[in-house]
Amino acid sequence: MHAVGALESGLCRYVLISYGQSARSGNSMMRMLYHMTRNDDAVYGHFGAAGGYALAARRAMHEFGTGPETWKQIAVGQRAWANRNPRAIMADQELTEESYMASKYMIEPFRLFDNCLMNDGGRAVILTSVERARDLRHPVVSIMGLGQHNPSSDLATADFLAGPTGAKRAGEAAFAMAGISRNDIDACQIYDCFTYTVEITLQDYGFFGPGEGKDWFSGGTIAPGGRMPVNTSGGQLSEAYYMGLTPLSEAVMQLMGRCGKRQLGPETSTKSPGIILCSDNGGILQAHACYILRRI
Amino acid sequence: MADMTKPVPQLNADNRPFWEGCREHRLKIPKCSSCGYLRWPPAFLCPKCLSAENEWINACGTGRVYTYAVYHIAPYPAFKESLPYVVAMVTLEEGPRMMTNIIDCDPAGIYCEMPVEVSWDDITEEISIPRFRPLQ
Ligand SMILES: [Zn+2]
Repeated sequence: MHAVGALESGLCRYVLISYGQSARSGNSMMRMLYHMTRNDDAVYGHFGAAGGYALAARRAMHEFGTGPETWKQIAVGQRAWANRNPRAIMADQELTEESYMASKYMIEPFRLFDNCLMNDGGRAVILTSVERARDLRHPVVSIMGLGQHNPSSDLATADFLAGPTGAKRAGEAAFAMAGISRNDIDACQIYDCFTYTVEITLQDYGFFGPGEGKDWFSGGTIAPGGRMPVNTSGGQLSEAYYMGLTPLSEAVMQLMGRCGKRQLGPETSTKSPGIILCSDNGGILQAHACYILRRI
Repeated sequence: MADMTKPVPQLNADNRPFWEGCREHRLKIPKCSSCGYLRWPPAFLCPKCLSAENEWINACGTGRVYTYAVYHIAPYPAFKESLPYVVAMVTLEEGPRMMTNIIDCDPAGIYCEMPVEVSWDDITEEISIPRFRPLQ
C-alpha cells in the first residue's frame, strides 16, 4: 500500500519489495518469535505465533466446529501444488490425509503439517506504473483493489478471536475498490502461516459460512484441477515462508503465465487466471491486508 | 535464548500492582475510575475512554476457559520438564480474559467454557503465579 502511494505521488518510479531470512541456518526467526511473547505471557510458557494461532484455532473449533478434518484438506491440497513446483521445499514429498493425521502434535490443536516451513531464502517483487510496465518483457499485472483492517493489537483484547478477523473488512474494501465480486476470482493466494489461517481468511472473505469450510474444501477444491485453486506454489506450508511475498509473488507469476508445470490453465486442468485474490496477515489474525490483482 | 530457567514476571509501572497482589494471593485488576472498564492487560490509559485514573479491585478468582493450547514441544527449553503443558485464556467472572495455565487436569479433559478457579503457585518467596484448575 505504501508502495502504491510512493508511485502515485511521484516520489519514485520503481519500488522493490523484498524479504530475506535465514530461519533454518540462523536463528533470526526464533529470535523474532521469542521476543514476540517475551512479556508476562511467557511466564506461562506461551510462545510465538504458533501459541497464539493455536489459541485462536481452538476457540474456532468451539464456536463453529472446525478442526483437523478441515485443515487436512488444506495441507494436502497445497502439497499437491508444491509437488509441481521444483522450487518448493516439499517438491518431492507427497502428503496424504492419512500421513497428516498421523503426524505428531506440536502446539495442539496443530499437528506438524498445520505449521508453515522455516527456511532460508528470499523473494522480491517490483512495482511500477502500468505505463512503464507495458515496455517490459512480461505481461502486465495490475492492482485492482486493496484493503487493510487491524481490529486489535493484543490477544487479550481481541473481541472476536474466532473471527471475523481483519480479513472481513479488508476484503470488503478490496472488492469495493476493484468493483468485482467473489464470482470473478479465478484463484487465491492466501497467507498461510497455519492451515487454519487459510480457512478463517477465506471464510471471512465470504467464500463459505462459519464451519462450512469442511464441505467447501472437500473433493480437492483448492488442489490442481479444483474449482478454486489456492496457494498454487505450495504456499508457506509447502513451498517456503517469505512472509507476504509468498502469496504476492505467486499471484504475479501465475497471472504472467510463468509457472511451468503448476501454471493455472490447461496445464493443471483449471481456469486460465485473469484475476487473483491475495492476502497478508500479521499479529495473531489481528492485522490483515487484502489485494486483488489482474492481468491486463 | 539458551535460557534454562523459566521466564519470571518482569515488573513495570503497568503490571507491578498485579504481581504484588499475586504475592498476597490476590488477583488484582485495574478498574477505570472514569468509566468503570476493567483494563486487561494492565495499561496506563483506559482503552475505552482514555482516562489515566484507575483503582485496583480484587477479582474473585473463578472464571471459564475461553480457549487453550496443549504444548507437546518446548519452544523455551526450560519448559521441557513440564510437557505436555496447557496455556489457556481464562475469562474471569468479572469479564477480562487473562493468559494462564490449566493444571491438575488431564489435557484431554479440558474444554472451552469449562469452569475453573485460581490456584496459587509460589515459585519463590517473592513470586506467586496464578494458574487455574477445574472448579472444585
Ligand atoms: Zn475508562
